[in-house]
Amino acid sequence: MAGVHDLIYRTFFKRNSAFVATCFVGAFAFSISFDLATTGWWDYHNRGKQWKDIRSKYIQAGDADEE
Amino acid sequence: MAAVSRINLLPTSRTLASGVPFAPRINNSVPVGLSGNHGHGHGAAGARSDVPQAFAFRVGARGHVGKTNALPTSSSFQQRHFSSTPLRSVAHPMAGATGIPRASATGVPDFSPYKAKSAPLNRTVSYFMVGGLGVLGASGIKSTVSDILSNMAASADVLALAKIEVEMGAIPEGKNLIVKWRGKPVFIRHRTSDEIDEANQVDVKSLRDPEKDDDRVQRPEWLVMLGVCTHLGCVPIGEAGDYGGWFCPCHGSHYDISGRIRRGPAPLNLEVPEYSFNDDEEKIVIG
Repeated sequence: MAGVHDLIYRTFFKRNSAFVATCFVGAFAFSISFDLATTGWWDYHNRGKQWKDIRSKYIQAGDADEE
Repeated sequence: MAAVSRINLLPTSRTLASGVPFAPRINNSVPVGLSGNHGHGHGAAGARSDVPQAFAFRVGARGHVGKTNALPTSSSFQQRHFSSTPLRSVAHPMAGATGIPRASATGVPDFSPYKAKSAPLNRTVSYFMVGGLGVLGASGIKSTVSDILSNMAASADVLALAKIEVEMGAIPEGKNLIVKWRGKPVFIRHRTSDEIDEANQVDVKSLRDPEKDDDRVQRPEWLVMLGVCTHLGCVPIGEAGDYGGWFCPCHGSHYDISGRIRRGPAPLNLEVPEYSFNDDEEKIVIG
């Protein structure tokens, strides 16, 4: 247990270059995962109401004129 | 239970026979709140490990108040007293949490429950908090900047209007088609193989604006150009002029079958716009 936080410290925090790089990479990862999570929640909350859910009711396969 | 007492006394109320200043009733024990060896060498709470020699002090002796004032009597002199701290036996608020009933003789709170248990872990957690704030801040700045930039970009309907599609099958070989694109005419010519050969045989070095035919077309049989004369912006006439290409009636510029300037006042070849081929639908997409 004592080794884990020490390993984290030495890997990410000890050198400023590694610290800043970790922050920037983490910012990208965070924004992407946050977008995915919130979009997923939105789709779940509005399931059955969005066009992509009800499209199959109105447009059959090969029936391009309806569009 | 000792009563809370506060006494003020002169630093040196008396001097012992040994020459040591006599200061009675001074609490020399280490307070609980300051327990732990932090470089002072006084040991744990309670009686000091570095207790002075017995001749240096005497606990419980009655102080002697000298009747003779040896201090200066001028009005500007302020007498210095030092006070002992009141003796208290108050249980610490954290006593229940720590399991140890802690009482501070000096009233100094015991901060030891608040101290970090592990300095390296504390350091890692601190950096983690700083880094987490950095991650959130950088993410917010990135989102803000990208939102502002996408706000300034052209919207989808504008982009859709900025492109036109021309069916390739509508232009027979050897014919021109003029379409309007972004307010300007665009010439599309389906060239015959004779015209392609003719365009390739021209000595490029002899041209005013040297450009190979291969550089002006994506496919040799399809020539796509902006129909704006590079001289003063007239629209040239197709299949006219001395070189079998285009002729500008305004000032007499002659363009060849590759749209390159050959004679007349125009300085440059006809401009080639951005275009691509959509082979699935057999269309040329301009824009």
